[in-house]
Formats: sequence, structure tokens, C-alpha cells
Amino acid sequence: MNNVLLLEDLPEIRAWMKALVLQVFPDAVISECARVHDAIQMVGAVKFDLALIDLGLPDGSGVDVVARLRDQQPEAQSVVVTIHDDDDHLFPALQAGAFGYILKEQARDLIAEQLQRISSGEPPLSPSIARKVIKHFAEQNKPQSDPMPHVQLTERESEVLLRVAKGFTLPEIGVQLNLSRHTIADYVKQIYRKLNVSSRAEAALEAQRLGLFGRAR
Amino acid sequence: MRVLELARLGQVLRHGRAAVAACACLMAGAPAAASLTVLERAAVAASADARFPTGAPTTSRQLPHDWHADPDKPAAPLWYRFDLDAVRPAAGAASAAVLIERACGEVTLQVNGQDVELQPAPLLQPGRLCYHPLMATLPATALRSEGNVMDLRLSGALRPRLGSALRAAGLAGVSVGAQDDVAARYRAQLASSVVLPLVLGGVLVALAALAFVVGLANRRYRFWPYFAGLCAAWSVMMAGNWWPYLPVNAHAAEVVVLGAGAVALMCTALTLFRYALWQHRVVDAVLWAQCVLAPLSAWVAGPDQMFRVASAWYVLLAAELVLAIGWYLWLSWRFARREFWFTAVVTLLAVVVVGWHFAGQQDGQTWVQRLVWQLGMPALLMLLGGRLFYQLNAALLAADGVRATLEVRAREAAAEMERSFAQMAEMRVEQVTQAERKRIAADLHDDLGAKLLTIVHTSDNERISTLAREALEEMRLSVRGLTGKPVQLADALGDWRAEVMARLSQAGLEGEWRAPTEELTQTLPARTYVQTTRILREAVSNIIKHSGASQCKVRCRLLDKDFQLIIQDNGRGISMELDGRLDRGHGMASMKHRAKQMHGQCLVESGPGFGTVIRLTLPL
Repeated sequence: MNNVLLLEDLPEIRAWMKALVLQVFPDAVISECARVHDAIQMVGAVKFDLALIDLGLPDGSGVDVVARLRDQQPEAQSVVVTIHDDDDHLFPALQAGAFGYILKEQARDLIAEQLQRISSGEPPLSPSIARKVIKHFAEQNKPQSDPMPHVQLTERESEVLLRVAKGFTLPEIGVQLNLSRHTIADYVKQIYRKLNVSSRAEAALEAQRLGLFGRAR
Repeated sequence: MRVLELARLGQVLRHGRAAVAACACLMAGAPAAASLTVLERAAVAASADARFPTGAPTTSRQLPHDWHADPDKPAAPLWYRFDLDAVRPAAGAASAAVLIERACGEVTLQVNGQDVELQPAPLLQPGRLCYHPLMATLPATALRSEGNVMDLRLSGALRPRLGSALRAAGLAGVSVGAQDDVAARYRAQLASSVVLPLVLGGVLVALAALAFVVGLANRRYRFWPYFAGLCAAWSVMMAGNWWPYLPVNAHAAEVVVLGAGAVALMCTALTLFRYALWQHRVVDAVLWAQCVLAPLSAWVAGPDQMFRVASAWYVLLAAELVLAIGWYLWLSWRFARREFWFTAVVTLLAVVVVGWHFAGQQDGQTWVQRLVWQLGMPALLMLLGGRLFYQLNAALLAADGVRATLEVRAREAAAEMERSFAQMAEMRVEQVTQAERKRIAADLHDDLGAKLLTIVHTSDNERISTLAREALEEMRLSVRGLTGKPVQLADALGDWRAEVMARLSQAGLEGEWRAPTEELTQTLPARTYVQTTRILREAVSNIIKHSGASQCKVRCRLLDKDFQLIIQDNGRGISMELDGRLDRGHGMASMKHRAKQMHGQCLVESGPGFGTVIRLTLPL
């Protein structure tokens, strides 16, 4: 992890996070900023490997930065670092392409561990997020919906989601399905990826529809 | 030929009379009248004297005797002499009486030269009311053993001076019989020829008044006043039955009757036209003008031309009636088919009655014709009136129905409006509340959350940063409680399980979670979800921090109407002596308090060395 974007508006927390990142990735180059505007400029200028993005910022939402990063640097991993644990806030960020989330107030060691895991490809997934993902795909794949090629979850991915929704932890699911921790992590990654792809398709279709209506008028 | 016809007419007349008499008797409950002896011939002599002109030449005439049809064209009073001896057996010895059924004119009667009192009395004697029966008892004192004669003096109006041939002078239906029989026949004829038309005339006047009032009250239905006029005019025309009682000049009365005829025609036509919603200025004007012209022309022409003028007018009026009815029926057929059949029948019946009446004018009417004319037309008018009133009533009822329906609809609409208003208000309240909650939540996160977070990560004191972290978690939970959406029990169990198991495994404890595996449909109110989360979190914190346990079992159960959460560890337990002191640290009191808030209970069973069991029971 060489280039890390750190978007956080509280100076103390930003400093603390910076220290944390350096603890986990000692040779990282960290680009700090406190505003969405600055972050988007940085995304245009610097190629990042990892981005830690706060959601509630003075000039907007970190979700925009996540989306921009997904568009311009698909290889970069966006991780939402937030004080909001509710899916209303987290889900849009995940749809925009975030690859996991970390709750800011957790103990330093815990955050460090989570950061390590996410960057090594093991994103977290809470029951409420899992439920939202299930609902998202269920609605997308209704027979009467749009003439778009739908992104579908595999049976295994759905199985994992269902179990997460019921409150089983990822290691537990690995044991239940007789799968390695690595495989389970892959499923979760796939789920995040598909959520992003399907959300983007949905957004594109929505834009097209609005455009059509606009022209019709 | 003529005589033959008249004889046949007389026969019909007699049969008819018998039938009417029978009816009247049945109605009165009296025994059927016995037969009377009809006097069919009389010796007739013209004289204005107070006695039968014995020396004067007489001619024998067959009854009924019509002056106009008489070849001698009598003008002065006529004396009729009847031979009573021929009918002596029927007359009986003691109480014989004579009945005169039709005597158009003033009548005096003598038996063997002695005046006989007539009934009704001379003062009331309806000279021009031809079908008013007259009756007289033959005085036993005046009767001799033989050579009895009855002299009748008749002075009537001549046909040219009258509007109708039916009122022209003449004599018919003189019969002799026992007093009781004569009286019965007299009463029957009085009822059918005088009283009934009189009553019907009165009824028509009442109907006219009623129709007029209705017309005033319902201006929309413009035929009502004309119908009222029709009834009134008809009743005046029928007044032939009562105007003789009034001190009116004979010619004036004839003129009035003719005028009434013109008015009746106008009202009939306009009633029909207005009923069919048709109107034409010229037609209206002509009809109105006629009402003035007809009587005026008759008045100007003078008494001697009355019959001619009246006949001409009646022909014209009859033609107009036929035209008006034809026009109305055509309109009705085109535009109001529903009304067509009823009115067609009534109007055509009226045409038939009028036509038949006219046909009877020349040759004298049969009793059936007379009855149809006198009873039929009022009956038709009443039928029509009944129909009109029925329709008015139906319209009123329909209006009532419409009003009732409208009322119901209005009430429904009002209720609907109220309901939707309430809903809108509720929604609005909900929206405002939701927006306010979001604002509070955002504020809490942005301000309080940021500050607490800063404390968490900048404090050197572990205890303070832990407290701040817990405060942050509490705040978040409160915010979730604020959003107020009910939580699916299955989702809540998922959240709880994930949190509990993650925390236990982080702390190195062995965790076991047992929950119903079937589909759950119940929901938890947001507050219950939040409070239960707090209790569960507190309990797990206690186990991790204080119990020294290596194992923790959580069991969720759905009881009948309750939801139960049992959290069990294999740690040290809470010793009873220390309970009071430990309680604060373990937060048992706050757990119990929270359970109570949710109308549930939280039981803690513990003993040193036995671990702790917390049973939380909540109503669903």
C-alpha cells in the first residue's frame, strides 16, 4: 500500500487515523484532506491504492468521492470510515463502490485489524447490510423490471448473504458450508462487486429514463 | 220512419231507465220498482189559457214529443190531455201518481180540471233542466169513476234560441203507477240525472282549484293552470244542471255555456301542448281569442240565432279538439313515448264521447249517451288529473330520493374528506416528525458524535475513552430509537446474534446462540428493539468484564404472547451479599428498569459458583 487517501474533516481524528495507517502500512504515502472538493481533485491527480473516506463532510458526502474513485481508479480500494453504523448511510457508499466500512469509534487495535483485513481482501458484512443487499437484488430481478442484463448472485453468494443476515459470522459460515475463510472472503468481495455493478446499471438506466422523459417534454 | 225511430229510442230509453233505477234501488237497498204504465199518446192543443182549451182543435201526438220535430212547429204553450181511464187498473184506486221524465219547459198539471201539486215545487221547478224528473200524486178527491183526464201545460224554449237541441222544448216519458213505484223511479232518475252530475261538477271545481294551486306552486309544470281551467270550464258547461236555479237571463246563460265550451277547448289544447312542452304564439293567441269571440258573436247575433251560431262554433271547436289531440299525440309519439299510450287512450276516449254527444244532438240522446256525456267526461278529467297528480307525487318522491342520495353522498364525501384530511394530517405529522428525527440524528452525529469520537481517540485515559465509546454507542442506539420504524424480529435476532457472537469471540469466550429456526413474522417496536439491544449488550459486557466465564449461552424463545431472551454464563455469579454494591456496576437495576419500561420483566438468578442466568421476558 503506497498511496493512501485520507478524507476526514476532524483534525484530531485525521491525525489519529494517519498514525493508524502508518502503523498498519509503515511505508504508505498519505494524502490528507478535509473536504470532498479537495479529495476529488486529488483523485484526479494521484493514483491511490487505498482510500479511507469519511461520509459526513462539511461540503458534501464522501459517497461522491467513492463513486469518483470507482470511475477513475477502479483498482483503488475505497473503505468508508464513519461514525454512522446504520445501513441508510452505509449502503449508498457500498453501492457506489466502497469495499467495506470501519466504524471510527472502535479501539485502535480493532480498527487496525479490520484495515488489514479489508486491504487483504476480507471486507466485513453486517446482517443489516446483508439484508439490504438481498432486498436490492430481489427488487432488481423482478421479472417485470427493466430491459437490462441483470447482475445475478450465485447460489453460494446468496447462501452466504442469507446466513450473514441471520447473524452468523463469516468464520461460522465457513465452518457451516465447509469453506475456507479465503473462499468466504471471495464471496463477500463478489457480493460487493456485484452490488456496485448492478447499482451502476440501475443508475444508468434511471438517468436514461430521466433523459428520455426530458426529451419527450 | 221517424216515428218508428223515436219509438225505438223510447224503448231504449225505458230499458236504460229501468237499469239505472235498478242500480239506484240496489244502492238504496230498496226493493226493485214495480212497472209503471206509460202514457204513449196525448191530445195536444196550443193555448196560453190556464185551462185545457176544450173547444179548440186538438191533434193526437205520440210521446216523446219534440216541438222542433212537430210539423205544426208549435211556439206557444201546449196543452197535453191524457186519458186516465185507459190506465185505471194500473193506477189503482187510492194512491196513484204520475211521473214526467223529460219536460223541457215549465209544467203545470191538472186532473179533471183540478190543479195538482208537482214535485219539485213550482218555485224550484227547473224549467230548462229537461232531465229533471217531475212527480205528482193524483188526488183521490179529484178522481171520478170514469172519464178521468190529466191535462199538462208545457211552455218551453224553442230550439233556435238555445245552444243545444237537447234543451229544446218537448215532452217524454209520462207514466202513471202506484205512488211508491213512481216515487222510487223518481228518486232513481233524480240521482242519475241531477244529483250525480251536480256532484261531479262540484268535484271538478275542487279539482280545478287544486290543480290551480299546484300550478302556482310548481311553475315548472306549465300545464297545471290550463288543466285547472279545463276542469273549471267543464264544470260550467255541466252547469246546465244548476244554472236554472240561478236568476240568469236565459240567453246570457246560453252565451256563458258557449264561452265555457271555447275555454274548455283552449284549456284542453294548451294543457296537452304544455304537457308535451310545445308552444306557439299564434296558436295560443287564436285559442285565447276564440274564448272571447265565441260568446261575443253569440251575444251579438241575438237570442234567435243562438242555435245556429252555437252549432257553428261547436263544430269548429270539435274540429280544433281533434286537431289539437292529433298534434299532441304526434308530439308525444316523437318526444315522450312513455306518456303516449295513457294520454292517447284518454284523449281518444274524450273524442269519442264528444263525437257521440254531437251525434245525439239532432235526434235526441239515449240515456247511455247522456250518461256518458255527463259522467264520462268528468271521469276522464279526473283520470287525467289523477295521472298528473300521480306524476307530481312521483316527481316529489324522486326528488326526495335524489335528495336522500345526495345527502348520503355528501355525508360520505364529508366523511371521506375528513378521513383523508386526518390521514394527511397524520402523514404530515409523520413527515415532520421523521424530518425532525433525521435532523436531530444528524446533529447528534455531527456534533456530539464528533466530540465523543475525538475523546475516544485522543484521551490518554483508557477509562474515559471507553466511557466515551460507550456513550457514542448509546447515542447511536438512541438515534435508531428515534427513527421509530418497527424492526422485524428475525432481523433483530440477526443483528443481536452477530454482535453478541462477535464480541464473545473477540473476548475469547465460547458462545452459543439458539433461536427459533422457523420463519418469524413478528415485529418489535423501535424502542423495544433499542432497549433490548442495550440490555443484551450490558449483559454480555458484564459477562466479559466481570464473570470470568468461559462460556456464554443465549437462548431466544417465542412463548405464547411473549418473547424471551435467556443469557446464561458459567462464571462466578453475583454473590448475594455483594448484590447491592455490584448491582450498580453490573447495571442489573438499569436492565430491570428498561424491561419494566417495555412492560416486560428481567429476572436475574445467580449464586456464587453457579454462574448467572438473566431471563428477559417481553410482551410481543
